[in-house]
Amino acid sequence: MKKLRLVALRLLQLVPVLIGISLITFVLAQATPGDPVRLIVGQRATEEVIAAVRQQYGLDEPIFVQYLVYVENLLQGDWGRSIAFRGPVLDFILSRVTPTLYLVVGGLLLTILPALLLAVIAAYRQDSWIDQLIRIFYTVGLGLPSFWVALVLVLILAVHLDWFPATGFGQTFGERLYHLVLPWTAISVAMTPILLRNLRSGLLDRLHADFVVSARSKGLPERYIFLRHVLPNSILPSLHLLGVVAVWTLGFAIIIEPIFAIPGLGQLFLRSILGRDYFVIQGLTLVFAMITVLITLAVDLLTLVVDPRVS
Amino acid sequence: MLGLKGLKRVWLIAAVGLVATGILGRTAAVTEAAAGEEVRLRLVTPYPVSTLDPIKSVAAGDIEILGQIYSRLLRRDVNFELQPALAESWEASDDGLTWTFRLREAKFSDGSPITADDVVFSYLRLRDQEDSAYGGAFQVIKDVVALDERTARFTLKHSAAPFLGSTEMFNAGIVPKKVVEALGDEEFARKPVTSGPFMVEEWRPSDRVILLRNPHYWREGRPNIDVIEWIEVPDENTRVSMLQAGEADVAREIPWVAVDQFKDSEEIIAPLNQSSVITTILLNHKDSLIQDLRVRKALAMAIDREGITKVVTFGYATPANSPLPSSLDYYYAELDPIPYDPEKAKQLIEEAGATGAKIEFMAGTGGSVWDQATQLIQDQLRTIGLDPYINPVDTATWWDKVTTADYQATVSWWYNETPDPDTAVRWALCGACGNSSFYTYYNNDEINKLTEEGLRETDPQKREELYFRIQEIALEEVANIPIWYKPYRNAMRSYVKGLFMNPAIQWTFEDARVEG
Repeated sequence: MKKLRLVALRLLQLVPVLIGISLITFVLAQATPGDPVRLIVGQRATEEVIAAVRQQYGLDEPIFVQYLVYVENLLQGDWGRSIAFRGPVLDFILSRVTPTLYLVVGGLLLTILPALLLAVIAAYRQDSWIDQLIRIFYTVGLGLPSFWVALVLVLILAVHLDWFPATGFGQTFGERLYHLVLPWTAISVAMTPILLRNLRSGLLDRLHADFVVSARSKGLPERYIFLRHVLPNSILPSLHLLGVVAVWTLGFAIIIEPIFAIPGLGQLFLRSILGRDYFVIQGLTLVFAMITVLITLAVDLLTLVVDPRVS
Repeated sequence: MLGLKGLKRVWLIAAVGLVATGILGRTAAVTEAAAGEEVRLRLVTPYPVSTLDPIKSVAAGDIEILGQIYSRLLRRDVNFELQPALAESWEASDDGLTWTFRLREAKFSDGSPITADDVVFSYLRLRDQEDSAYGGAFQVIKDVVALDERTARFTLKHSAAPFLGSTEMFNAGIVPKKVVEALGDEEFARKPVTSGPFMVEEWRPSDRVILLRNPHYWREGRPNIDVIEWIEVPDENTRVSMLQAGEADVAREIPWVAVDQFKDSEEIIAPLNQSSVITTILLNHKDSLIQDLRVRKALAMAIDREGITKVVTFGYATPANSPLPSSLDYYYAELDPIPYDPEKAKQLIEEAGATGAKIEFMAGTGGSVWDQATQLIQDQLRTIGLDPYINPVDTATWWDKVTTADYQATVSWWYNETPDPDTAVRWALCGACGNSSFYTYYNNDEINKLTEEGLRETDPQKREELYFRIQEIALEEVANIPIWYKPYRNAMRSYVKGLFMNPAIQWTFEDARVEG
């Protein structure tokens, strides 16, 4: 029951959050200099043509009128029209969800698994050469600019060695995995260190905790101690960080997708900001905000499952 | 120690899985290529497609694809000469006011015939519709009527030398009247019925357009390409990687450094075809500092165009001498540009009392080229006693500032969609032609007058004089500071033959083929 109430509460909170975010992005986007219409009809178009097209999109109205119209349409399920592609926003967003979903979910798996593995190794072999090596990895990983990592990966593994495709997103499941190896690696290199460092210190704390020492003294097998006592307790503090990492990875799509020419939400987002495609910016902001809230909610629910103290 | 072994096993499985998917994915790709006999080309371009309706846009991404899907009355062949297209013949009255075009038997991509009614419909919407993006050149048309199924007659308001050439422009493509009327503009723009060498299979906005060979295209045996994937890839390095990795066959706008890298390559060629692009420094003539002719002259003298061109474009571009693109008719090749003379420039700045004056250079973040050029210019202007600083802005902001005269100087470029200089002069040098000389607000009454004379004059000899005079005046008054003429920075795999881009930014896909 309590869990249900938490979920309901969180979903209710979504409403003011979305209203606030949409209002802010609406005002910010329109306050930024630049006219989407000029960019799409081209530099040679006359002022009259530009005015005529602006009118078609209702861009000649005062901004608060535009916002009210937008909200009214939104409530009826109409997300507005893309100025740059002259069609409904929701269609464009939906058509690009899949690649981003693959990218983010795969990227997260390739972040969580190595982070967990390396953290366990590092913690159990504290201060050994392998621990030092892992430390070097995450220090360097934290310092490397991710777009640079992505470019180097493409240059070496795709262009020179020809092991993986440099860009794109395949048709079949197998093709997609193949195409996403490099982008996933780029995400993993950027995100694993963050999680890894946190997990390692969490594990170290627990490994020397009193309850673990007493479990050991009882002669319990190490494997049992690890799975039953060390892991659940040390994962807890990292769970919230995982939520943050997940949201970052989503935002990361904006950097990664253009480099690998993946036709996902990130590329659309970048393109719509540069093109001042107001209603696409608006729609994507809402989608990203909703996903962020949902991820936070998922983390809270996971915490509930792992930690019996939370109620 | 616990579980480390088990975890190692997981790692191993993951690694094996990864490699296996790699191999599977690769095999799939290879078999597909071997089994299909269709000729498929993948073009990567930074320029987004925003519409497939020929009249709705004059942006580069649209111009380039519109030319592939709509036939016009005339066309330009691989030598850039005008040739019959949908019109198999035409004649003009002696006064040049009446033009009669005889159409050949041709079909739209849905198999329906292209008639004079479609021509009339296409030209009227091009001229009259309020969202026709670039209808200026067609306002000279007084009337256009269908005399019969296959004859269309145009009457002009006054004689106009560029008229015949303008029937080849990308936005004068012929659209099917019935289909446009039935679907409405918006629906038509998404999935059009076309008249050109290619038709549209699918358009995924902000991703790609898939073009198929139009089986009803009027030119026998053309095109040889079955499918073109027209892919939007904003990042220039990504476009180069795709070309190198064999994931693209043709790439538009690659960096100069990549052009240089490919010069000895056997697999990738960068043909460097002549373009109508001119790179120039726009000066805001409404600005109190720039208004002073001495200051403008000094700016022009302070800039080492040869040096900048060499450094930024690796010497692949040519320093510009005239304010008009070098590919245009009546381009004044012998015109002497203002010489590089920093000493004299410094003196002029002193005379104008502008020593130490701040001058803002706005830099559009459209690519590394502009940053680099702007920085070099900044250094050179310092040596003549000015205090230049750079204001980087994104493209959308750039346009906002330029069109509202909220800038002092900026490096920019433009091109012309036809070889006729009329539209070029109206765009860049005429102060009374709607966009205030590319928003430099340069306004010279004589040029404005000569522009109108040049449009009406039909004697080539006399036209040449008029346009030479325009170029002289604009250069002398430093309307703007032309820097270089650049060839196209396009590259392709060497198995693509016969493909290039003409100065009117049109690809020759219909004459291209794939070998080997």
